[in-house]
Formats: sequence, C-alpha cells, structure tokens
Amino acid sequence: MANLSEYAPIVGDEVVSQLERLTEVVAPRRFVHINSTRYGGGVAEILNRAVPLLNQLGLETHWQVMEGDPFFFEITKAMHNALQGNKVYFSREMINHYLEVNRENARRCDWEADFVLVHDPQPAYMIEELRPRAKHWVWRCHIDVSRPSLQVWKFLRDIVRQYDASVFSMPQFAQSLPHPQYLIHPSIDPLSEKNRELTPGEIAAVLERLGIERDKPIVLQVSRFDAFKDPLGVIQAFRLVRRHTPCKLVLAGGEATDDPEGARLFAEVQEAAHGDPDIQVLLLPPDAHHDINALQRAADVIVQKSIREGFGLTVTEAMWKGKPVIGGAVGGIVLQLQDYVTGFLVHSPEGCAFRIRYLLHRPEMAKRMGQLAREFVRQHFLITRSLRDFLTLIILLDQPERRLIEF
Amino acid sequence: MTKMLDQPAKDPFLFRECFLMTMPIGIKVGNLRELLHVIREVKESVLYYHLFQTRLAVSPPAVEYPNDFALWAGTALQEIALAEKLSSFDPLDYTNMGQVRQAIVDIIEEYLWETPFVPWARPGFELHCCEASTVVIRSKISAHNLREFCQALQGVGVDSIYYHFFEARWRLESPIDDFSYWIETNFDLPELVTAIRGIDIYFHNLKEIRQTLINLIQRHLGKFCGEPQ
Repeated sequence: MANLSEYAPIVGDEVVSQLERLTEVVAPRRFVHINSTRYGGGVAEILNRAVPLLNQLGLETHWQVMEGDPFFFEITKAMHNALQGNKVYFSREMINHYLEVNRENARRCDWEADFVLVHDPQPAYMIEELRPRAKHWVWRCHIDVSRPSLQVWKFLRDIVRQYDASVFSMPQFAQSLPHPQYLIHPSIDPLSEKNRELTPGEIAAVLERLGIERDKPIVLQVSRFDAFKDPLGVIQAFRLVRRHTPCKLVLAGGEATDDPEGARLFAEVQEAAHGDPDIQVLLLPPDAHHDINALQRAADVIVQKSIREGFGLTVTEAMWKGKPVIGGAVGGIVLQLQDYVTGFLVHSPEGCAFRIRYLLHRPEMAKRMGQLAREFVRQHFLITRSLRDFLTLIILLDQPERRLIEF
Repeated sequence: MTKMLDQPAKDPFLFRECFLMTMPIGIKVGNLRELLHVIREVKESVLYYHLFQTRLAVSPPAVEYPNDFALWAGTALQEIALAEKLSSFDPLDYTNMGQVRQAIVDIIEEYLWETPFVPWARPGFELHCCEASTVVIRSKISAHNLREFCQALQGVGVDSIYYHFFEARWRLESPIDDFSYWIETNFDLPELVTAIRGIDIYFHNLKEIRQTLINLIQRHLGKFCGEPQ
C-alpha cells in the first residue's frame, strides 16, 4: 500500500502537506464508508485506495461492504438501470427483499461513527436502522441520475431524504432534496496497479499473454460489458474506421460481483465480433488491473462510447496515461473531454469513427491532446483531490447552513 | 537587492488556504432566455460561483473565457459574439453583486433583442447552476520577508493563490490583491507593486498566476529565490 509521501512527486509537496493540515482541523473523528462490493467497479477501486490513505492521515476510517444474495444484486442492478433512465418494473417482492437485505446488513454493524458515507442505492436503506450510530449521514451517488425512472426515484428519494446531505459526481445529477447537495468528482490513484508507470517490457509481456499483436494501431475500450457502455456501438464505429484505415479493436471488460447482466451482454458482444480477426473481446477478472494498465498504455486511441455514464473513470485513466480519448457526450465525460484540447466528444457510432480516423491520421495532435489531458487529470482527478473533498465535507457538515467557515 | 529580500516586514504575510465544495442547486439552463431569467432570480452566491469560484472548481487547462457564463455562451450556445461581450465584462468594476447582476442582465437582454431567435444548447450541454461552501484555514505558512514570501508562494496550494490574489479583490471591495498590498505596506518597492497589479488575472490559470508572481519578484529582486522559468 502506497505511503502518502509517495504522492508528493506526482501532485506536488504542497498538496500532500495541505491534506495533513486539513486533517488537523478534522481529526479526531470516525469516518465510515458503506458500499456493496469490495472488488470491481469504480467505487470499490476508489475505496480500496482512499480508506488506507485516510487512516494514514490520522482519520479513523472504516469500510463496510454489504452482503447480499444473487436476487438482491439483480434488484439493485435493475434499480441502477432504472436510475439511469431505463423502464424497469419493480414488484412488491423485489422492494421487500431490497429492504430486508439492508436490514440484515444493518444488524451486523457494530461501529459508531461521526460521519458515514453510503455509496449508491444498494446500502442506502441501512440508515433506517442505523441512524443513531452516527452524527452525520451522507448519501454518495455515483450514478447518472439526470433522468431517472420516476417509480424507482420516488422510492429511493424517500430513503435519501433521511440523510443530512447528498453528494453527486456531476451538477446535472442533482435532485430536489431537502438537504444540501455537494459535488465530488471521482478520482483515480496514480500509484495503483492500474495506473502506475509500466516499462515497455511489462506492456509487451501483457500483450503477448493476451495474444494481441501490435501489427496495426490499437483502438481500445475498457469497460464492464454493460449496454450503457455501448460496446456494440464501438464495434460498429470500428468497422466504419477500418474501411479507410487498418487498425484493430480491443474490447476489454471486467466483472463486478454486483452486476448479473454482464455475462449476457458479453455473449452479445462476442456474437457481434465473431469471425473478425481484428476484434478481440477480453473478459478480464476484476483484479486484472495490471493488464488494463498495459492495454491502455499500448493503445493508440482509447474510446469510451457510453450512452449513460456517472463519471467515466476509464476516461480519466486513459487521460492520465497521456492518451487521446474519444468519449460519448454524456455525464462526467463532458466535463473531462474538451474537443481538440483534452479529447473528443461524440454522439453516434459515425462520430466516433470519424474522430478515431482523425486521431490515427494526426499522431502529433493526438500526442498534444494526451499531454494536456494528463495535466488536467493531475490537477483535478487524482485521489488526493478526493481525500481533500472528503475532509472538507466533514468540516462543512458541522455547519451546513454556512457558506463560509473560517479557522 | 539581496538586502531587500531579507529585510523584515512590519507584519508577516499569513497564507490562508481555501477549500471549496461545489453545491449544485438543481437549476438547469437550456437557452439564453432561461439564462436571463435565472440570472435575475438566483441568489448572489450562485452568480459569485459562476463568476469567481469556478476558478477553484474544475477549470479547463487552457483559459479561454474568464467566467462560466461566457464559456457556456461560447461553447454550448456557440454564440461567439455574446461570449466576447460576457468575457470583456469585468465584475471587479462593480462594488456589489446587485450591480454585477444588472450588468450581465443588460448584456444578455441587448443580445437577445438583436438576435432573431433564442439560442439553445444541445441536450447534455445545459448550464447547471451551482453555489459553493468554502472552508478557509490558516496554513501555518507565513513570510517575514520577501525571500520567505517567494519560497512560500512555491509551497502553498493554488487555492491560496486564488484566495489572496483573486478573491481578495471582491472580499475587500477594492481592486487590490493581498500580495501587492502586503508588499506596498511593508517594503518600498513601488515598481514591483505596479507590476503585480498589472497581471491580467483573467488570462491565466492559477498555476500560471503563481509562476508569473514568482517571475516578477525575481525580475525585480534578482534570482535569489530560484531561477525564473
């Protein structure tokens, strides 16, 4: 596990010492995170890194992962899809099971805290049982809830109302709620296995093991096999590009224990790619961080053609590696990619194909955009920024009605 | 000049740090008429966020437009002429937010009057209104002379630069930043003070402002706190 001082050469000494000074104002307080999976997905990745760093800073921080049966995760995945705008029917049985699993998990808790951050809808209802255990409860929503299905949002809203505050990844996800809403952009860890610098030898070894030849430029999308990430649209875009420019497509996706739909979509993608020697579809285990790192560093162009996206950490990862990124103009991708500066935003498979061709034919432009993208991430989307935001939030919640607190 | 670098100040400069949390207020603006309405109605803290505090939130690596309204007009509405007008307007020319609000309203009203249609943003590119809560703490970093000041500038976060160099002008209701005020009242260096006050804050990001300040001090006092870049 990385030591906080190891971040100083990357973000600057001043950023690390600032975190220490901020912690002096905050501590001693007990901080608890609750989410639904220890591995796989952006939330677990952030918590795996942030929790030890918060403890190193001197803030007593505990991470609780809720447990659930397959039916529970089917329900919460459907809830996730509904919050991102899909029409999903919820039966009384589904709702009751969701509530009961939350109650069971709440009964297993033995902590007391000053500040609890509950991530996403899965464990949201635990507040019902645990409210007196902590002074401040904050709901952290990582999902694109800009146009949620009304039935599910009404249900969740009644739960979220009990919290003292909510945190969203983008301003467009803010909702009508009777408490303060804050913005925290997700972040990546530059020292994690997924983002650390790799040697050319390490990259070559991964490509060889995965059977990827570097005989043509590589176009890459890394994401879960999820309809909202539009892997079929990426294949369509790739085939449009290949009519003009030789290249190959790698679609690499991890699995998360709370995503039962992944296998079905993976099969659909395999079917679409079947028989095409220039398309490789890789189902990687949730801990394949090193492989993903190598793939991103080996790629010539990285795509994240999402049609809904909370924030798009794979975009941040690619930008940090100095790569030009083409992203769907949704959610947090819009914040990260600025046309011709840090990447390209696209609205269709055709647009995606057009920008891939542009970048493959303009390597000098691709390099310049990649460099600007890396600096943009350094300033705004590294884990040190999230630590700072957590600490600031803890201070603000003592006096949420005040817009300025001075020490 | 070495002597001047070590000459003790009457009052030390105490750096403060500024931790800002953006707070979305759930209001979305999709066209220019809506923007006019929102600017008339929202709390002053919302205008303040989009004119000033946005610097400390996420700002693009290259500063093209100096505030969110100009940026949105230029990039989302693609109304470059309006973006130019909103960029040229300087909120620091006014003494209170009521006057600033009226100035923006006047610009947009005039533009709408002369435009045959209401400019719209594409879906996904709406302006989402925010305000912010801020924690300000004493950083424990202080400067008792110009050498320490120069070194401290390199050691504080960019939020400190924002607080003392940008926000101070509004906070103190005077177009003067904290840094040049401290140098003016502690040292006899009128040329340096004038040079610092000549920095156009709207065309640099906070990192660039920090470097420009360091370069100016080095240019006036020699290279004793490091080589200018």
